[in-house]
Amino acid sequence: MSEPSAVAPVPVEERLFSLVLALLATEQGLTKSEILSTVQGYRQRYSAFGDNASLDRQFERDKDDIRELGIPLETLEQPGEPGNNQSLRYRIPKGEYDLPSDITFSPTEIALLSLAATVWRQGSLSAESQRAMLKLNSLGLESDEPVIGYAPRVRIRESAFDPLRVALDKHAVVTFAYLKPGEDTGRTRTVTPLALVQHHGRWHLSAHDMEADAPRTFLLSRIVGPVTTTSKTWTPPEATGHAERSLRELDALWNAQVAVVQVEPGTDASTRLSKRADRASDAASGHELHLHYTDIDVLADELASYGPEVLVLTPDRLRSAVLSRHRTTVERHRDIPSGGGEDTDRG
Amino acid sequence: MASTTPHGRDKLAFLLALVPYLMDKGRVSVADAARHFGVSESQIRDSVNLIAVSGIPGETSAYQHEDLFDIDWDLFDEHDEIVITHLVAIDDSPRFSAREAAALIAGLQYLSSLPDQADRGVLVSLLAKLSHGASGRPTEVAVGSTEVDGFVSDIRTAVARGLRIEFDYLNSRGTHERRIVDPLRLESLDEDWYLRGWDHSREAARTFRVDRMSALTTTSEPVSPRAGDVTLGDKLFEPSDTDLTVVVELDSNALPLIADYLTTEAPTVSAGKRTRVTLHLAHTHGLKRLVAGLAGVVTVVDPASARSRVADWAQAALDRYATIDASSQKTGIPR
Repeated sequence: MSEPSAVAPVPVEERLFSLVLALLATEQGLTKSEILSTVQGYRQRYSAFGDNASLDRQFERDKDDIRELGIPLETLEQPGEPGNNQSLRYRIPKGEYDLPSDITFSPTEIALLSLAATVWRQGSLSAESQRAMLKLNSLGLESDEPVIGYAPRVRIRESAFDPLRVALDKHAVVTFAYLKPGEDTGRTRTVTPLALVQHHGRWHLSAHDMEADAPRTFLLSRIVGPVTTTSKTWTPPEATGHAERSLRELDALWNAQVAVVQVEPGTDASTRLSKRADRASDAASGHELHLHYTDIDVLADELASYGPEVLVLTPDRLRSAVLSRHRTTVERHRDIPSGGGEDTDRG
Repeated sequence: MASTTPHGRDKLAFLLALVPYLMDKGRVSVADAARHFGVSESQIRDSVNLIAVSGIPGETSAYQHEDLFDIDWDLFDEHDEIVITHLVAIDDSPRFSAREAAALIAGLQYLSSLPDQADRGVLVSLLAKLSHGASGRPTEVAVGSTEVDGFVSDIRTAVARGLRIEFDYLNSRGTHERRIVDPLRLESLDEDWYLRGWDHSREAARTFRVDRMSALTTTSEPVSPRAGDVTLGDKLFEPSDTDLTVVVELDSNALPLIADYLTTEAPTVSAGKRTRVTLHLAHTHGLKRLVAGLAGVVTVVDPASARSRVADWAQAALDRYATIDASSQKTGIPR
């Protein structure tokens, strides 16, 4: 973006800040041409008679940026001129911009919120937590001493998370390739995201499957390839409560499904699995452990990593899932003896 | 939509937060403001300089003096203190966006599932305040509660009180040992808990998985003063000098599954959808578990010794099942 004039360009933040101030100060709203011709950062590049197309696009992007910060930037249609883009007016209603004055936070609450903000270490949740803390800091409130030596964190490794979260807000229909265990290639799913929930350390997407016209739950780790957001939207019949419902359903599934495994005493499997086994059922059974689970293949992956330290007794499906994983691992890693011990050609 | 100016957006957010803070304080030093927001003093000065010349076009559309913010320039230039003398358009803190509120709410939910967390009442009232203070309905993102290892609570207390702890530890090589440790920091990653501390037997800082500990006791011995000098890096897993180099092959989409083992300089070679990555590991004990848990997803390519360690591990498991099946056939126990 090169400036035709010799004037030093106005910094981005100055243009954005000036736009917010101008839109907050107006009651009846400003038209786009009023904004482009008078607001700092635009007016320098505005041409009264020429083509302002690039300035126009700049304004569109700036509006997105401002809304992204949670600032309620409104568009008003002129009465009697619906659909006329030139007469649209823009403003930020002060009452909806300000944090309600009855909201205050105690030093204990600020400390707890600060800790909550550090839970997210990467991705959009981290950036948004930090911005929320910035707004909290603007209240000038004091905080209790930070909790030392304690850093609880939640990780979001799945690249599908951020696009799904954006789609959630807009009720946008998305598509992605979903790879079910045992299948070679992912099948394309078309869904409307309803909630993102972490259950026992795994991120799940609760969504409405547009093809099946029914609710479905997906494991984010099985979404392969990019999430594509379409221009279609779908509004669920129930406006809220999707995250809660989804967690309730996953809890019910977790409680209903139990695997029985036998662990080799003194091993990693024994120490780690016995800590999360259902103690009530394991009182008398020695090295037999009862493990709850939501997804049989997730549990099979985990148990397979323990190799000979753990044996699955029931259910049969879990047992064969673990066995087939071990067979695959052996196949992929046992070189066919061809004399000389060279690596096999895997072209 | 991906924004073109994330940087400008963050700076805008900062300006909109700084103005009400300065108003609230009345008079504040640059140093205090920098400390409060956790930013550099020069960022505060730059922001104040920008605020002081900003405003609204006004009736004349010419940004007249009365349409602009103003500050006490003498105080600012000579004493590094800030007083806003004229306000324009904003005087209050902005609301949270729906997504900002949701991020904090989900963080609080995770904290609430942990032991010894502040009482429920505080959490419930905070959740209500965040929803009320947001410009839209917070997004549906939630973290479910889980049972946490009982030791987490004990270790947290030991860290807070500065007391040495002892426990039996099964290291990843499968060896049991009594460890005497000055606990420094308790960290979690999702469901997994890690203790970082000064290991007296190793005379070095070490990271321990809490679920590999047993027979934990808190001693009455205070942690050694030296413990305070230990600087812990931000990364939970630091590559060591004795690292072993292993090349693995996997689908490019599966890279996040082994993210913990990837170093920034890990060279990756992609051929179509398959990627080859060089991992640096302390030994192959962890590798066989990693690869066996990702059967068919990650394949070790090199060295041959690592390939056979992995194959042996899975084969040993198959052999155990075969033995059990054979013996249950003899005894006639249906399986």
